[in-house]
Amino acid sequence: MTVDDTIIEVSDATVAFEMERGAARVLDDVDATVNRKEILGLVGESGSGKSMLASSMLDAVEDPGQLTGEVTYYPDDGEPISILDLPAEELRQLRWEEIAMVFQGALDSFNPTQNIRQHFQETLSAHNANREEGMERARELLSELYLDPDQVLGSYPHELSGGMKQRALIALALLLDPDVLVMDEPTGALDLLMQRSILSLIKKLQREYELTIVFISHNLPLVANLADRIGVMYAFDLVEVGRAEDVIESPRHPYTRALLRAVPNLDMSFDEMQPIEGDAPDPVNVPPGCAYAARCPLADAECRAEKPPYEELSDTHRAKCIHTDEAPDAVPLAVNSMEAQSGNTGVTTGEEP
Amino acid sequence: MKRTDGGTEAETSRFRTPETKSRTRIERLRYKYDLYIRSPATVVWSDIRTRIAVVILGVYLLVGTVGVLLVSPPSASQGPIHVQPFQTMAHPLGTDGIGTDMVSMLVHATPPMLKMMLAGGVFATGVATTLGTLSGYRGGRVDSALTTVMDMATAIPGLPLAIVVATILQPESPYVVGIVLTINVWAGLGRSIRSQVLTLREESYVEASRAMHIRTPTIILRDIIPDIMPYVAINFVNAARIVVFSSVALYFLGVLPFSNTHWGVAMNRGYKNSGALYNIDTAYTLVEPMIAIVVLSLALVLLSQGADRIFNPRVRARNSNATGDEDSTAAVEGRTS
Amino acid sequence: MTDEPVIELDDTEVHFENRSGLLDLFGDTERVQAVDGVSLEIPENDVVAVIGESGCGKTTLGKTAIGLQRPTGGSVKFRGQDIWEARDKRRKADIPYDEIRRSLQIIHQDPGSSLNPNQTVLASLLQPLKRWEPDMTREEMEARVLGMLEEVGMKPPEDYAYRYPHQLSGGEQQRTALVRSLLMEPDLILADEAVSALDVSLRVEMMDLMLELQDQFDTSFLYISHDLSNARYFAGQADGRIAIMYLGEIVEIGPVEEVLENPQHPYTKVLKWATPDMEVKHGKVDSPPVRQIDIPTPTDPPSGCRFHTRCPKAREECTTESPDPIGNGDRKTACFRVDPEHTYWESEPLEGTDQEGEIL
Repeated sequence: MTVDDTIIEVSDATVAFEMERGAARVLDDVDATVNRKEILGLVGESGSGKSMLASSMLDAVEDPGQLTGEVTYYPDDGEPISILDLPAEELRQLRWEEIAMVFQGALDSFNPTQNIRQHFQETLSAHNANREEGMERARELLSELYLDPDQVLGSYPHELSGGMKQRALIALALLLDPDVLVMDEPTGALDLLMQRSILSLIKKLQREYELTIVFISHNLPLVANLADRIGVMYAFDLVEVGRAEDVIESPRHPYTRALLRAVPNLDMSFDEMQPIEGDAPDPVNVPPGCAYAARCPLADAECRAEKPPYEELSDTHRAKCIHTDEAPDAVPLAVNSMEAQSGNTGVTTGEEP
Repeated sequence: MKRTDGGTEAETSRFRTPETKSRTRIERLRYKYDLYIRSPATVVWSDIRTRIAVVILGVYLLVGTVGVLLVSPPSASQGPIHVQPFQTMAHPLGTDGIGTDMVSMLVHATPPMLKMMLAGGVFATGVATTLGTLSGYRGGRVDSALTTVMDMATAIPGLPLAIVVATILQPESPYVVGIVLTINVWAGLGRSIRSQVLTLREESYVEASRAMHIRTPTIILRDIIPDIMPYVAINFVNAARIVVFSSVALYFLGVLPFSNTHWGVAMNRGYKNSGALYNIDTAYTLVEPMIAIVVLSLALVLLSQGADRIFNPRVRARNSNATGDEDSTAAVEGRTS
Repeated sequence: MTDEPVIELDDTEVHFENRSGLLDLFGDTERVQAVDGVSLEIPENDVVAVIGESGCGKTTLGKTAIGLQRPTGGSVKFRGQDIWEARDKRRKADIPYDEIRRSLQIIHQDPGSSLNPNQTVLASLLQPLKRWEPDMTREEMEARVLGMLEEVGMKPPEDYAYRYPHQLSGGEQQRTALVRSLLMEPDLILADEAVSALDVSLRVEMMDLMLELQDQFDTSFLYISHDLSNARYFAGQADGRIAIMYLGEIVEIGPVEEVLENPQHPYTKVLKWATPDMEVKHGKVDSPPVRQIDIPTPTDPPSGCRFHTRCPKAREECTTESPDPIGNGDRKTACFRVDPEHTYWESEPLEGTDQEGEIL
C-alpha cells in the first residue's frame, strides 16, 4: 500500500494572467499533496485547471501565466526544496532527474529529423549523465514497455505508431531515474487497446522503479482503474480529494457525483446517464462563492456568498462543499453502482464490496 | 421534401419558427456596413504601422489627385536652371538642369506612379490568385499544366525580361508599364498560393461544403480565398514595391520612353544634366526624387506588415460592434485544461 | 422506393496506393486496403455505429457510404441508385446526383475546423439554404436558421448568429455543424467521431440532441467511433445496430445490446475488455487478451483471417481461410467459431493461444 508521506506539497497555488478583458485566474488558491510512491489521478474537464496544477509542480507554467504560492518537494534524502525559489540551473536539474513530465500532445514533441537513439543521447548529455549506462538503462526501459529496443532506437519518429511513440516517451522520461513522473493525458491519442495496455505498463513501472506518479486525464473510467488517490478539479480548484474508492464509490461533492453520472460506460443503464446542465465559469469572471453553485441542485445563499472550505469527511477524504451530507440524495448515482450495492453512503470503511 | 413514398405530401415543416424576428433590410445593411467597412477601418487605424502607412499613402493620393490640379505641369525653363532648394517661394524645391521646377516634377510624377502600382499589383496578384487557386483546387491535369507554365515563367529572370519587353513595346500608358514590370511576378506567387490551396482543400469545412454540393466557384470564393487573403494582400503590396523600384530603374536607365513624368526620369535628368553624382550642389536633383520613392516604399512596407490583421477573423471580431468581443473560454485559456 | 435502404454498400472496396517519392519507383507501391469487401445496409431512420481502432478503415468506410470517397471495387447505392453512376452520368440515373448529394451529409470530429473561420455562424448556415432553396426569401432563410439555432439550445439565437467560430465553445461549434447538416433535411448523416473532441460531460448532451433531431427529421445516422461506451449509448437509445471493424472488414454486426452483452467475435470481446469501466483497481489490470498489442500495418494484412495474428483463439485454419460473415438476420459474425461444425475445430491451435474448447 502507499506510504502516507508527502513527496510534493502545493500550497495556495494560483496562476493568473492578464487578458484584454481582465485578469484571468486559471488556478485558484489550490492546495494539494502528492504522497510518496502513490498514483495520484487528477481528473477534470478541459478548462478545469488540472494541467495547470501539474505544470505548477514543476514550475513549468508558461508565459503569460504567473504562478504564485508554494511548491515544496521532499526528496528521499535531504532537505525539502522550495521549487518556486530554485535558480534556473538547479530547477533544470530537478526536472527530469527528480521530477519528469510527459506533456499533453507529446506525440508531436519528437524532433522529426533525429532518430530515437539520438533523442535519448541528447537527454543524457544535457544532464551530463554517463552515456553507456544511460543507453543500457534506455534499452531496459524500452523492453519493459514491450518495445524492441534495437528497432525503436534506430527508427525515426514518423516510422513509429502512436502507441510506440507514447511508450518511447515514457521511457525517455524515466531515463534519468526520477522519483516522480507527471503525465498529462498520456493516452489521449491512443487506441482503446493501447490505452488499457499502457495502464498495466504504468503500474508495472511504478512498482519496479518505486515511482510516484501524477496522472492527469479527463477520462474518468481510466483514472478510476489506475489511481490510488483521485483529485477532482472543477473551475480551477480541487473540489474533492480522496482515495480512489472514496471518490469513485462514494463521492460527496455534487460535481463529482454529477460527473460520474454524465460519463457513459458499458454498465450503466441509459436512463441513469445525465448531462450536467449549465456551463463552467469563465476564468475572468469567477463568481465569489462556490464555483459550482450555478449548476448545483443544492446551492443556497451561503454557497453563493462565500467559497466553501474543505469538509474533512475522513482522514483520507475531503470535499469543498457545505452540503456533503445531502449530496448522495440530491444527486443519486447509478442503481448498480458500488455505492448502492454496499448501501454505503456514509463514511467509507475502505473495504471493497 | 421527403421522397419516402414518391408522392407529394403536405409540407408540415420540421423547422420551428424562431421566437425572435428576422432582421429588416436596414438592419442587414447596417450590419454589412459594419462588417465590410467600419470594422476593417478600425483594425487598420488601431495598429500604429498601418495607421502611418495609410496616412502617407493618403498624402500621395492627395498629391496625385488634387495636387496635380494646383501645381503647373513640369516643362523646361520654368525658371532659371539649378535654383537651390528652399531658396525662393517660386521654386521651393529648386529647379533642375533644364529649368524644370522640382515641385512640378515630383507632383506630376505621382499619378503615373500610382497607376503603375495599381496596374502591376492587380495584374500580378490577380493572375497569380486565379491560376494558383485553380491549379490547387482542381488538381489533376489542370494542375500539372498550370504548374509547368508557372515553373517556366519563374525560370526567366524578372528585370531583364521586363527590360526586353519594354524596349520592344515602348509602352507609354502607365497601366501598361505597370503590367510589363510585373510580367514575371505572378509566377512565384502563383506557386505559393497553389500550395496553400492544396492544404486548405483538405480542411474539414471545405469537405463539408463539398458534401453540401456547394458550387465550386462559391467554395473557392468563400472558403478558400478568405484564408489566403492575408498572403495575397502582402504580395499585392510587394508587387507594388517591385513596380516602384523597377520603374525607377528602367526610367533611370532610359529604357522606357520619357513621355511620362516619373521620379526615375527626374533622377535620370539629375544624373545626366546636372552631374548630380559628382556635384554636391546639384545633388538635390537626385536626392529629392529618391526621398519621394523611399517614403512611398516605406509606407507600402508598413502597410504589408499590418495587412494580414484585416483578414484575421479574431481581430475583426474584436473590433466589431456587431459580433461582440467575447472570445470563448476555451480560446482564452489556451494551454489550460 | 420505400423499401430500399437509404444506403447499400455491396462488397465495397477502397484501396489506396501509396505513391511516395522517387525511390519507390524501384520498389512496389504500397497498397492500403482501407476497406476490403464490406457489405452493409442502412435503412431509413436508423442508427448504425461502426467501432474500430485506428487504421481499421472506419472513416474511409463512412466517407464511402456518403459518397465522398469513390470505391475502387463493389458499389454504393442510394435508394437503389448507384451513386457514382449518377455522378458520372453514364446512363440516365433514376435519382439525379444532385439529390443524392443533398441527402448525404457529414459532421466532423473536430468542431473547430469544421466551420469556415472567416464566416459568421449565420453566413455559414445560410450557404446550404442559398444553394438548395433558392426560392426562399432572405427573411425566410434567416428565420429558418434562427429557428434551428433555438432548437439546438443556442438561445437567444441572435447572440450566436453573428459570432465567428472562434467565439464559440466546442459544444456550440459542434451544434452549429449539426444544424448545418440538418438544414438540408438529409437522409443520412455521417457522424465521424462527432463527440470525441467534446468535454466528457457534454457528450451525453450532444448525443441526446442528435437522437432527438434524428427522430424529428427522419434521418439515419452512421456513427463512427473508437469509443464503445459512447457508441452503445448512441446506437442503443435508437435501437440501432453496432458494427465492429478490423483492418478493413466488418467482423461482427448486430443490435447493440445483443452484441455487447453476448459478443461472438474474439475481437469484440477484446474491445470490451479494453473499454474501461468505473472500477477502482489501483492499476491491477489484466494483461491484454491479445497475442500482440500492436495492430498489423494495413499495407500488409495477415493472411486468412486478419485477426489471427492477435486472436487468443486462433488455429491453423485461421491462417489460410478467411471467414465470411455467418449468421442470420441482423446478427452476423465473421468467425469460424460461430459454426460448431466448421473444420476450424479440427485444426491445431496456434502458439500462444488459449483453447479451452469452449464456444464463447
